[in-house]
Amino acid sequence: MPGFLEELLRGYQSAVVFVGINGILAFSMYAVLIAGQLSLAQAGFASIAAYTSAVLTMEAGLPFPVVLVIGMAVAAGAALLLGLPVLRLRGVFLAIATIGFGEVVRITALNLDVTGGAIGLRPIPRLTQLWHVYLALGTCAYLFWRMRPSRLGRSLAALKEDEVAARAMGIDTVRVKLFAFTLSGALAGLAGALFAHYARFISPGEFGFERAVETLLFAIVGGLGHWLGPILGGGFLTLLPELQRELGIEAGWLRPALNGTLLLLVILFLPSGLVGVGRRIVPAGLRHRLDVSSVQPADGPTERAPEPAEIPAVAGDAPAVAVLSGVGKDYGGVHALRDVSCAIRSGEILGLIGPNGAGKTTLVNVLTGLTAATSGTVVVGDTDIGGLTADRVNALGVSRTFQQTKLFANLSAIENVMVGGHRVAVATFLARLAFLPWTRRREREHAARADRCLALVGLAGQSGAPAASLSYGDRRRLEIARGLCAEPDLLVLDEPAAGMNHVEAAALGTLIRQVAALGVTVLLIEHNVGLVMDTCTRVVVLNFGEVIADGAPATVARDPEVVRAYLGDAAGRPDHAEHGGPE
Amino acid sequence: MQQVVNGVFLGSIYALFAMGYTLVFGVLHQLNLAHQAVFMLGAFAGWFIGVTLGMPLWAAVIGAIAAGALLGLGIERVAFAPLRNRPDSHFAGLISSIALSIILVAVGLGVFGPDTVRFPPDAFPGGRLVVAGASISVLQLAILIVAVGLMLGLDWMVRSTRLGRAMRAIAENDRAARLLGVDVERVTMATYMLSSALGAAAGVLFALAFNSIRVEMGLGIELKGLAVIIVGGLGSVPGAMIGGILLGLVEVGTVAFIGSSWRDAIAFTLLFAVLLLRPQGLLGRVRVREV
Repeated sequence: MPGFLEELLRGYQSAVVFVGINGILAFSMYAVLIAGQLSLAQAGFASIAAYTSAVLTMEAGLPFPVVLVIGMAVAAGAALLLGLPVLRLRGVFLAIATIGFGEVVRITALNLDVTGGAIGLRPIPRLTQLWHVYLALGTCAYLFWRMRPSRLGRSLAALKEDEVAARAMGIDTVRVKLFAFTLSGALAGLAGALFAHYARFISPGEFGFERAVETLLFAIVGGLGHWLGPILGGGFLTLLPELQRELGIEAGWLRPALNGTLLLLVILFLPSGLVGVGRRIVPAGLRHRLDVSSVQPADGPTERAPEPAEIPAVAGDAPAVAVLSGVGKDYGGVHALRDVSCAIRSGEILGLIGPNGAGKTTLVNVLTGLTAATSGTVVVGDTDIGGLTADRVNALGVSRTFQQTKLFANLSAIENVMVGGHRVAVATFLARLAFLPWTRRREREHAARADRCLALVGLAGQSGAPAASLSYGDRRRLEIARGLCAEPDLLVLDEPAAGMNHVEAAALGTLIRQVAALGVTVLLIEHNVGLVMDTCTRVVVLNFGEVIADGAPATVARDPEVVRAYLGDAAGRPDHAEHGGPE
Repeated sequence: MQQVVNGVFLGSIYALFAMGYTLVFGVLHQLNLAHQAVFMLGAFAGWFIGVTLGMPLWAAVIGAIAAGALLGLGIERVAFAPLRNRPDSHFAGLISSIALSIILVAVGLGVFGPDTVRFPPDAFPGGRLVVAGASISVLQLAILIVAVGLMLGLDWMVRSTRLGRAMRAIAENDRAARLLGVDVERVTMATYMLSSALGAAAGVLFALAFNSIRVEMGLGIELKGLAVIIVGGLGSVPGAMIGGILLGLVEVGTVAFIGSSWRDAIAFTLLFAVLLLRPQGLLGRVRVREV
């Protein structure tokens, strides 16, 4: 070891150890924040593990590695138990519930005998070595480095961006959240146990609300965009007081004032934290090798989209992809759907039209598992989807787009599509940890699949662009590509032409026929009646929650009840016809 | 009966503090974590006016409220206004208000020092009233009246004035409100000023009630305020009122029947139960569907 490093370590050993421990704590915060869950329970988990491990060392004399593992396991178990009920909560509600948990832990520790109450526990043998801490920190970094480009990593990122859309893409959001929460608990536990066996003294005050906030600050100041963030954030904020001491800034009021000001400046002017600064100064070549979110699809010619063939009408006895029988949905006293029965047959492009408020979107939400029907049954393939969540319905082969686009705004176009292909992607996280050679191949295959979907909708050149930066029409097309990547049996398009002019709508019609030519059954919900009539092989008309017509486009267009629903009873009077019907 | 009176008295201060939180959250969907620093500085401002300047107590209360309003304006300008229009403004606002809270507490430490300060005992009006077997001092009664008066005043203002209407419009949809001619900037500033005025009022009343003013005094009530606004329903002004008084009663009840060391644990267990059974709170509204 070079002399100066040795000297540094001797002089600042405790600071160096605390940089590492706080880095691990920061990772425990990072684990939930990258899943979009603002949980402040980490100090509580650290406290549980610190006390458990300290008591095991002092009373039972167990070996240190065993004590560490038990401490982590207990904290992870506590996180799992806490997560089961509270992860239904979102945003501020989750934050406050987890603050409440932290307080309950602190007060419990204050009142128990085994924890030493307010006096705390001492003396805990100092078993934590510098290399333990940095081995643990390195393991954390390795874990998150390998995680991001895996299927699990994409699921976490998608969950952070939009929970409803993530579920509709087939991600079991409850499981993913519980995973993030439990991992966070285990890492906080590791930090807590290491802390207890270094500091030699713990008391409930060490793990209060302020520690929880401090942990949040480590993660935020470091930045959430990269796995180096927690190390930078934890290191920077831990060394700040040391630095201030070196500079001769006295403790007291000036130091916290400077800390606060610095923090304010970071959040106001460096929204992506210290890693955001790093991105700007690190040379691009090196950055590319470290940057894990870039995806390169396998080389090779992109398949050309099939020519849009004329899709034939499907015979009435063709197998059904989905069957709705007597489906009703009430919102309070409002009947959004009443006794809707209809079959979606394999290979057809089924149009669903109806005036505003007819229940079209409700029907789509029932069919895709986002809302449960009040009565009746929906069968997809052979499975009754009553009681299934949207991710389970997606797994049955139903993909969808949303009336108001729900893309994962900060993910690139290709990552959006790859998340959409969750159903057909292979879980790669654990294999990536072991650097198994097949994972790289599988990830490339999946990226290539996503690339083909992008090419099909005409977005081949945009794969690296963040979804939010795309134009309105491109965002709508990207949603279709995202729905296609799961290789669904049924693709549900909820008003894809909304806001498009007639040229764009015509191009969309061509695209839909191309999709159908690939063998995907399409359910097209639209306001643009012209598009539906030109594109679909069969049309169902809803009005006031009921099916009022079902048949070939030409037949439906002449149906007097349909004309009445769209144009009102005064049909034929041109001034009414202009307005398109009752709203 | 005595316990009920004590509970309502304590709860009214919690409620006053929590209303400031919930007002900002309800109108602007921001959680202002510098609110506890306002509470503390409000208490010190009242002490400064009442003791250092030797002015009467009513002037101390009014001065503290005015100082709070000014602080609120500063908090809005420094911690929240620069973040508007940023996609992560809610989250970033949370962090920037924590940062500002750290700064304000540090400034409080620098100006007023780390020691506990008190009003001289002869600063308070004497005398006690006995009503239905419960005893309450004139000071406590005055504090209760001021707290309840401020709460009812805020509730009336939100319901019935032009500013209140503008606030409710922004709470529904700030873009629509802007299009309809509401000066969103000014109403936002006014919301922070009002919120912080209430926080400072809670601080000075707390200081008078317990005659103990410290730099750390905001930390305990910060967590309780969060519990109160969840229990009452996030963004609901009457909910914060009821939640605050409920928390006061529960705390006093816990101390009387279980023991003082478990007081805060019971409060947070209550918070937990409400979150799990009725996440929208007692008076909160269910969110609209998302698709």
